[in-house]
Amino acid sequence: MATGRTSPSADVRADSRISLAYVLAESIRGFDPRREIRHPVMFTVYVLFLFILVVMLDPGLFPDLTVGYDKIYYLGTAVLLFATLWFANLSEGIAEAQGRAQAESLRQIRGGLRARRLDPAGTESAVPVETLRIGDVFVVPQGETIPMDGDVVHGAAQIDESMLTGESQTVLRESGGDRTSVLGGSRVAEGEIQVRVSALQGQSFLDRLIRLVESTTREKTPNEIALNVLLSALSLALFIVVLGLVYLCQLTGYAAIDVATASSLLVSLLPTTIGGLLPAIGISGINRVAEANVIAKSGKAVEAAGDLDVLILDKTGTITTGNRLAVQLVPAPEVEMGDLLTAALVGSSLDDTPEGRSIVRLAARRSAQSVRLEPGSFRVVPFSAERRMSGIVLADGTEIYKGSVSAIQDYAGELPPTLANAATEGARQGMTVLVIARSKRTLGLVYLKDVVKPGIKERLAELRRMGIRTVMCTGDNRLTAATIAKEAGVDDFIAEARPEAKLLLINREKAQGRLVAMTGDGTNDAPALARADVGLAMNSGTSAAKEAGNMVDLDSDPTKLIQVVSIGKQLLITRGALTTFSITNDVAKYFAIIPVLFATAGGGFVGVRALNVLGLSSPHLAVLATVLFNALMIPTLIPLALRGVPFRPRSAIDLLRQNLLLYGIGGLASAFVGIKAVYIVLEWLGRIPAWQSLLSALAHFLPGGFL
Amino acid sequence: MSYSLSLVGPYLDIAIVFALVLALAPSIGSFMGRVFMNRPTVGEGVFGPIERAIYRLLGVNPRHSMRVREYAVAFLLSNAVLILWIFFLLMFQNRFPWGATPGISPMAWDLALHSASSFSTNTDFVHFVTESQVTQGGLLLGLQVAMFLSAGAGLAILAAFIRGFVRKDGTIGNYFVDITRCVVRILTPLSILGAVVLVFLGLPETFATSATVHTLLGSTQSIPLGPVASWQSIMLIGSNGGGIFGANSAHPFENPSALSNLFEIGLMMVVPFSSPFAFASAVRRKGEALPFLGTILIVFFTAVALVIIGQIATNPDLSPIAALSQGSAYPVGQETRFTLPEGALFQTVSVYANVGANNMAIGALSPIGQMAMLFGMFTQSTPGGVGTGMGYLLTNALIAIFVGGLMVGRTPEYLGKKIGRQQIGWAASLLLVHPVLIFTPLVATLMGGFVPPLPTAVGASAHTFTSILYEFTSEAANNGSGMGSVYVNDATLWFNVVGAVVMLIGRFFPMIAMLMISHYFSVQSPLPPGPGTLKTQSFTFTIYLTLFLIILTALLFLPALALGPLTQIGGG
Repeated sequence: MATGRTSPSADVRADSRISLAYVLAESIRGFDPRREIRHPVMFTVYVLFLFILVVMLDPGLFPDLTVGYDKIYYLGTAVLLFATLWFANLSEGIAEAQGRAQAESLRQIRGGLRARRLDPAGTESAVPVETLRIGDVFVVPQGETIPMDGDVVHGAAQIDESMLTGESQTVLRESGGDRTSVLGGSRVAEGEIQVRVSALQGQSFLDRLIRLVESTTREKTPNEIALNVLLSALSLALFIVVLGLVYLCQLTGYAAIDVATASSLLVSLLPTTIGGLLPAIGISGINRVAEANVIAKSGKAVEAAGDLDVLILDKTGTITTGNRLAVQLVPAPEVEMGDLLTAALVGSSLDDTPEGRSIVRLAARRSAQSVRLEPGSFRVVPFSAERRMSGIVLADGTEIYKGSVSAIQDYAGELPPTLANAATEGARQGMTVLVIARSKRTLGLVYLKDVVKPGIKERLAELRRMGIRTVMCTGDNRLTAATIAKEAGVDDFIAEARPEAKLLLINREKAQGRLVAMTGDGTNDAPALARADVGLAMNSGTSAAKEAGNMVDLDSDPTKLIQVVSIGKQLLITRGALTTFSITNDVAKYFAIIPVLFATAGGGFVGVRALNVLGLSSPHLAVLATVLFNALMIPTLIPLALRGVPFRPRSAIDLLRQNLLLYGIGGLASAFVGIKAVYIVLEWLGRIPAWQSLLSALAHFLPGGFL
Repeated sequence: MSYSLSLVGPYLDIAIVFALVLALAPSIGSFMGRVFMNRPTVGEGVFGPIERAIYRLLGVNPRHSMRVREYAVAFLLSNAVLILWIFFLLMFQNRFPWGATPGISPMAWDLALHSASSFSTNTDFVHFVTESQVTQGGLLLGLQVAMFLSAGAGLAILAAFIRGFVRKDGTIGNYFVDITRCVVRILTPLSILGAVVLVFLGLPETFATSATVHTLLGSTQSIPLGPVASWQSIMLIGSNGGGIFGANSAHPFENPSALSNLFEIGLMMVVPFSSPFAFASAVRRKGEALPFLGTILIVFFTAVALVIIGQIATNPDLSPIAALSQGSAYPVGQETRFTLPEGALFQTVSVYANVGANNMAIGALSPIGQMAMLFGMFTQSTPGGVGTGMGYLLTNALIAIFVGGLMVGRTPEYLGKKIGRQQIGWAASLLLVHPVLIFTPLVATLMGGFVPPLPTAVGASAHTFTSILYEFTSEAANNGSGMGSVYVNDATLWFNVVGAVVMLIGRFFPMIAMLMISHYFSVQSPLPPGPGTLKTQSFTFTIYLTLFLIILTALLFLPALALGPLTQIGGG
């Protein structure tokens, strides 16, 4: 959670304690062949396991393959192959259970809601939520839960979204403007609103959220598919190699490899570690995004976040706090200071923005006279993106406008040179410059200072280390933008941006093949959000924005994108690291198994036996130790798969070196040590009388096959 | 034995050859890159008209760029024509010009099939003794033509493969233009130059098929002759390897002196060791050659060292006294005119550059040396054959970059092209096809009893097994190096037909895969490199690629090595 104001009890994660029963049930359901076949590597293990079972039923079926049939050895092999499969299923079950727990707590919010539908005549009737249609209007009085996603069409209210977002502070939602959207499941804390339904039952935000974290509809992402292709080809090649080894040993007469040993060798060599954990890695990626209070509409979006090249950030609200404060007034030549002060005061007295209020405060401090506006004697002209200025029109027709230099120049013509210089100078010093004009005559400037959010510089530097270029988007003029850009440390900026600027920038970057992300909340951001590879919409924004983006941040914190990028990268790194681990882990398995295959052969074989660097003596024990070690790697690495490989932003080549040392060399070395350790334990176990009698009892129970 | 007691001498001269080749590689490579990418090169005034004449003759529009299907069809069809031509030429070799060589009869169909496949696929694995089984016409009109065209095809496919990284219009070039330019501008000038030097070094170049000499004992002896220098030149430059004499490069006429030995080593190395630079120049990123060259050098030098160490190390089957008197623990089959390092370097270069020419008998190498040789054929890419070796290395690198790219947290890309499902699928299919092509015929041969029962002594048995493994490995890798074995006669119907199939699949499947990878890259617009992109021009990546290649190869082939060379050690 990014914000410190969160009350933990209202968190989505509060009920995320996973149910053990569910995990166990899920891990057993995983043995359904229709589910196993989706994971090619594990499916191979599955087939081998079934084959061993068949052989155990009647070893006489394949006399050539079961020379020296040993019940306990085959039983051990079957148990270990089963364990390999089960561990893999378990990892997937745990990841799914985490998601399910989140989904469950979300479902409870909605349980059995009824809506007060308002029919066109204006009468209110209580109907089940399921009957609501898009366009229907319903009323939510104070204290009630909003039954369905929608837009406020009448009224205003403080909404408590804590059950969805964990955010305990209420948010204002009102009709008109950009703050109309409300979420089904949130509660009206204060006020009463009429809401028009914007999504159908089953398609609401809450529903999508539930579906997503439940992961039942999870599609494999492109990288995951490519990795699966690679692992499948590698598995098939290893299958051919082991099959070849079995036949060639027999044909040359050097050694006889029975089917249990061959299966164990193959299973140990197959990339079961990555193959078994791959589904869990994908699911946990989405879970981790959800834990950050971001809802990703697809796993693909999360993966894309790891790939981003360019991040488009709004200056206001993301990089700066958005509260620009007036610090100085500069009159134009031949304009009295008092005149400017009065105009500033009148022009901003009804401007409720922090900027407007700060101008009033400044002007009031400097000016002796006070201004009183009679109700009805004026008309307020609000700021619009097209005009880029705001102001007031008095009863006598006097217009007072303030806006950016370029906007006022469009309105009142070129600035006088001294004023233009002052504007340039102010902007250079990192200030926002507003120009005040009265009835098409420029009166002077107001300097406003923008405050860069604390900590933003560090986060942007982090992004640069990840290789992501940041572009700041602002309506300010070039110089103002340049100063803020420098102060915050963004790589590039777009000044005097019109609403379509983001879309143009995204199109330009995408045409060059870059992956672009942006954050946005307004309806005018929607086209750009939809076009961006990662569009993170703010929960506080309009429905249109949330609909267009492929992620929604429930905390409405634009810097959350950085966290999402990290999670996306972690997802890929975890896959890569475990693949490397799986491959280098294999080397030791050859050294453990191949020499002992020749242990019973006669003289000679000096060279092959020299491979026995682990000093294993019992062939059966060596094979079982190897396949047990291989199986144990899966549960050992489940926490890593679920949490993701720790990721700190640094250069790609440093990351490669670090992960190669950790997972490549680590995989290589750990297998030698691990197999030897497991072998020693099995050997020690074999010397315990109780274990011996258990085995002999088992051997008695299995008289030469079950049949 | 002329085995030098001075340690510096023999190592110094091979070091000089290496230094010279590596010094020339950047310029030759950049020239090759210009040829690949249809840029103007030195000698435009000479090559241009020749090529335009060839295009007119073939009816080719050199400005037409093909999509993958058209390119593959052109490539496969023209190779089919070449194979059929050599097949019929050899079957009826006496009816063609220069066909009246005394004592040489038409070839049996299966041997003709094997030979046609072998030479057209740049394998040059021979199941015949050249002097007594192929006419001068068969050599010059068939096999030597194939030596140029198969090497040219290898380079053409590399050119088309590389284009995928550069283009974004979905086309990968024109096969006829590619092979014409590669033969006219790269192979022909180099082999003429090579042949001239070889003549000066004492190789015969004549249309006479034999010289009759009177021996000291008074009897007469017929010594086979031929256009040896020109043959030897393209045989070595084009990673072909089929000798004009059965004894190949241990024959005094193919390799008369220590100096010719060194020069021939250089000829074998020149194109494969320049290929990384050709790639870098073609994609206009100079430094991109280094990770590939680095990987090649690390694996290659390790192999040379293993061969030499293997020869010097104690042979448990030979008494120390005997070994000492022979100067090497495995003295049999070592050409005594050359020092051990000279012979070992020639042999390692020959196998690793997919030439397959011999100046040592591989069957008599130490088991460790045999293992090193087999390993080179398993990787096929350190540096591998002309064109194809670099193609394999790039394919392996794509897999390494895919896994490595994930490890740095980005969708893997190379040179701005994303490595997607299709590219990985085709690249990974090569991991599969090589073991299949080696293990299937190996198992079938033993199972079907197409060789005599293996000897009972384990060592001898493993040696025979290794020679069969070596045969199919060499054919699957289109290498052409042969190990020979006193127990196994490979000039049989079974070995001819199966060998032909293995060579054809081993050649054409990977090449089609490379074209497909190129195609999937060629439809993508390249991304500009960003700071988050995995930098391949780095020491870390070079080591990573090397280890990745070694571990992957070991995973797939360690069992084969265990049963073959490893079992020979101390096997009695």
